[in-house]
Amino acid sequence: MPSFLKEFFNRNGTGMGLTILGLVLFWTIGLIILPQLSMLDFSFRPNLPPPEIGGPKDVYTLENYKYLIYGPEGGSQDYNTVDLRVFFRTLVAAVCVTIFNLILCYPIAYYLGQSKGSHIRIFAIMLIIPYWINEILRAFALRIIFGETGVLNTLFVGLGIWDTPFDFIRNDIALYAGLGYAYILLMIFPIYNVIESLDRNQIEAARDLGAPWWRIHWRVVIPYAKPGISSGCTMVFMLSAGALAAPQILGGPSSLWFTQLIYQQFNDNNDWPQGAAYAVVLLVTCILFVLAMMRLFKVNMGDIGK
Amino acid sequence: MSAGIGVDLESLWIRFGDFVAVRDANVHIEGGDFFSFLGPSGCGKTTILRAVSGFLEPSEGNVLIGGKNMKGIGPNKRPTALIFQNLALFPLMKVWENITFSMEIKGASAAERRRRADELLDMIALPDQGDKLPSELSGGQRQRVAIARALCAEPDVLLLDEPLSALDLKLRQHMRTELREIQQRVGITFIYITHDQGEALTMSDSIAVMRAGVIDQIADGKTIYNDPATAFAASFVGENNVFRGKVKRVMGDEALIATNRSGDLVARISTANRGKLAEGDDAMMFIRPEAFAIAPEGATGDHFVTARVTHEEFEGNAFNIFTEGDGGKEIKVSIPNLGQSFKDHTGQNITLEYDARNAVVVPAGELAAE
Amino acid sequence: MNSSFLRISIWVYLAIFFAYLLGPLVIMSLTAFNSSSFPRISPWECLTFQWFTELFHDQRILNGIKNSLIIGAGTVVLSVAMGLAGALMLTQIWPKLRATYYTIIIAPILIPGVVLGISTLVFWDRINRMLGLGADSVLSNGVFLTVIGQSTFIASYCMLVLVARLQRYDTALTEAALDLGATHAQAFRKILLPFMRPAIASAAVLAFLASFENYNTTTFTFGEYPTLTIELAQKVRYGITPAISALAFIIVALTVFFALLNEAKLRRQELVAAARRNAMVQDLGGKIRLPSFFAGNMAAVLLVVFAVATITMVGTAAVYSPDQCIANVKEQKRLEAERRIQELRKQREEQRKQREAQEAEQGGAAQSAPKPSNNSGFGGVFAPGALGGGADAEPEAEEPPKGNGGFGNVFDPNSLSGDQ
Ligand SMILES: Nc1ncnc2c1ncn2[C@@H]1O[C@H](COP(=O)(O)OP(=O)(O)O)[C@@H](O)[C@H]1O
Ligand SMILES: [Mg+2]
Repeated sequence: MPSFLKEFFNRNGTGMGLTILGLVLFWTIGLIILPQLSMLDFSFRPNLPPPEIGGPKDVYTLENYKYLIYGPEGGSQDYNTVDLRVFFRTLVAAVCVTIFNLILCYPIAYYLGQSKGSHIRIFAIMLIIPYWINEILRAFALRIIFGETGVLNTLFVGLGIWDTPFDFIRNDIALYAGLGYAYILLMIFPIYNVIESLDRNQIEAARDLGAPWWRIHWRVVIPYAKPGISSGCTMVFMLSAGALAAPQILGGPSSLWFTQLIYQQFNDNNDWPQGAAYAVVLLVTCILFVLAMMRLFKVNMGDIGK
Repeated sequence: MSAGIGVDLESLWIRFGDFVAVRDANVHIEGGDFFSFLGPSGCGKTTILRAVSGFLEPSEGNVLIGGKNMKGIGPNKRPTALIFQNLALFPLMKVWENITFSMEIKGASAAERRRRADELLDMIALPDQGDKLPSELSGGQRQRVAIARALCAEPDVLLLDEPLSALDLKLRQHMRTELREIQQRVGITFIYITHDQGEALTMSDSIAVMRAGVIDQIADGKTIYNDPATAFAASFVGENNVFRGKVKRVMGDEALIATNRSGDLVARISTANRGKLAEGDDAMMFIRPEAFAIAPEGATGDHFVTARVTHEEFEGNAFNIFTEGDGGKEIKVSIPNLGQSFKDHTGQNITLEYDARNAVVVPAGELAAE
Repeated sequence: MNSSFLRISIWVYLAIFFAYLLGPLVIMSLTAFNSSSFPRISPWECLTFQWFTELFHDQRILNGIKNSLIIGAGTVVLSVAMGLAGALMLTQIWPKLRATYYTIIIAPILIPGVVLGISTLVFWDRINRMLGLGADSVLSNGVFLTVIGQSTFIASYCMLVLVARLQRYDTALTEAALDLGATHAQAFRKILLPFMRPAIASAAVLAFLASFENYNTTTFTFGEYPTLTIELAQKVRYGITPAISALAFIIVALTVFFALLNEAKLRRQELVAAARRNAMVQDLGGKIRLPSFFAGNMAAVLLVVFAVATITMVGTAAVYSPDQCIANVKEQKRLEAERRIQELRKQREEQRKQREAQEAEQGGAAQSAPKPSNNSGFGGVFAPGALGGGADAEPEAEEPPKGNGGFGNVFDPNSLSGDQ
């Protein structure tokens, strides 16, 4: 027995040690690692009816990945433009949502982090309440507002600002607003946490030296808050790229989200391996993208998840 | 005094990876004794205590309690109770619940526990404080609660890890006497850890002096003070002036040392080193500040030291004279204040005299850091 | 001047921000009380509680709630247990493995929920097949799969909450308990667990909320046991009714209630602590003050207001009957509709005449028709496109959302749902 394990059991006792170790192994291996590997493996297999699984036809193949790039065999187009477009649109839109959220939330996080008083707690509650409410209901609320006869259209048309209702949904505005809305808290909290620990004197000192407010932010606050900002951005990006409810409810009829394609593969086409392949592509792309961004902005992995 | 249960360490080694925290410790602790481990911080005292209480498996060697080998017996099965360096009182339990935790484990009723807690609270002079939380007590009170909690488990051996280090000086001195009294009242073996030689000397029946994982000497306090076995023990316990040199001649229990700075001086060879020092060996000679007296000017011989005074100070009960000494260190001389007139020697050479029986020589070795 | 400008712009910004954040919830909540069968606040028709009644009679919603509660309970137990074990392991693990281990247990937070759902489904399906179990085994049961799938990432959240507190735990306390004769299990139960209790409570609440609202993972794993969120999603995707607003209102109200309760409790603890500190300096007596629970405790005051409002509302709901109002509105609508139809007929007539005169082959009357001022009155029922359909039929203003077969779905506000 390695000395680490021996010490572990000495410290925790055999019974407790086994319980802890068992739970941790179940979680890490049984729930995290093996399912992901299993999905990866599955994505390289053909879609077979259950009796043929494990049979002679069950061989590894790249078909599912080829499908994403080239489309169905003998299809009319050289590339699977529909799915690829959805894929890139999802990524770009997720980046946009992230940037939008950052711009929206940074001032709030800064304000909350730097001011004191009991109203801050009330603000915090007001921030958290929408987050406690079901994702579907949040999307539903926005749907009421952005609908063709929703509050905004009634208001603007009623005031005579527009003469026809504007279709927020078809133009994806509702979707972006909804995605941004859903992840506000995830952007604010990491930034708030970091900024709260920023010594006010640093800002005062910079102000004393005559720095204008934007320079103070650019040179002092933002560099300091970088771990929080990157943490928030990573979470918002990953979650918006992986969002399903908001696109389903708020998305325009002609614009799909990549997760919806995955959903269709599973639930409508009943092609699990294909869906798994798409899921792998989504996961890997998102991770690579986040890692690249972290590289670009020189952020450490350890800062994430604080 | 050997009614209690004794503890033995047999060739005990404890390693953390490649680092040796305890090196070949052999200790016999008499039952019912107040035994101290004395050494600077980081020398492995806590490590030894944790091996005795069962939190650490020795890498080699054995721990015996009452003659019984403790190998494979967990801390909850050993007849020891440990008072932690930071006390480790349970913060969410009231004082009386803290004290009787060991009874709760055995399933004693609340009434029974309450009764026992009151007894113990009386003993530690904290009556009516049972319903407070530990955080509502002062440092000294918390200290006593920790002792009561350990005693409530009715251990055969009580282990104390620098229990007084967090207290202020006054309280520390008071608690010394109190601890010693408690030990004599309950009559069990106390193993006490400290880096404070004053504590070790005042309370202990026996002291083990430790240095970087090695036990240098085990003896009663008087012996350690007067007859240190190593240079480390001599320099760590009490104030001491060191003179380096080589053994010039061995004369029975005494030796003549050719010191680097102060000529040939005579000293008693410490008991542990008799027969081990030979001519030409590197040696260290120690003379306590209070062992010097001012000699008439011009006196010479093998028990006179002449040096230039750098400064002097008056300490109330004594006059201290500091002179240039060996290896950049000063020689400190302490003359008791008996009301005599005292002349300032600063800048002058003075001659000091000592009795060879009060100077001790040991083989050269590591000195304690200041 | 500069600083006051800054101050004003901060407040404006905050106002806009919180309007964005809370506005949708307020509007959604209000629509629960409007008798209009499409959730909206303007035009306001009648105050009604019928949507609540409808909600409580919706078997699928009730069943969804039941499933959500079962799954939530399972997820709380599993993810708090795994989160605690994970946190304990994190504080003890061999330093060389630490970074890897941390990455593994934090990863589920970043993995898209869809991916977690799929991998859970695929993996347990395979295990099920390997064990030769049928399609109705425990391993392919929706509750099991959902609990497992959700716990994968919810345990990470729990771990983060728990490890924050565990880092402040002094392991000497456990050792002290062992030293005093406790077994490891006793030391865990009597010392570590009480210390961790507040964090465990937070983690459990967090886990339950996360499980309750989860959609992305659950949508792949629920099988025969649709949760409330799944049912809601189905409803919202295929047609929205104010009954959903009613449910949303209840959830919002509960959330606000518990948030206030928690805040009031915290404030009270703070005030008590402050009072204790001041008690020595300042004599507490001699002044008239609010009952101590309320003094300086905004949240407590709000809580009471909230409770009173709830009681009032329930009381009103019990005696209030909107039938008269609804009848009036119906009548009004009918009249309005008739008027419109008359107008329309007249227009048609004129157009036909014009067309005949000009011999133009334009078919769609709607294009050239002047826009009716439909937004003043009944909004979407007469949405602009409406005139394009079979304009001659009688629009049944009473029942816009359903059963308007002749009209296609142009009269149906639910045409928004995107099922083109
Ligand atoms: N668990 C451990 N792992 C590695 N090194 C340790 C451990 N515990 C103690 N040590 C090292 O062992 C030496 C002795 O420590 P300790 O017994 O606590 O000293 P002290 O005499 O001050 O009580 C120190 O150098 C310490 O760094
Ligand atoms: Mg120590």
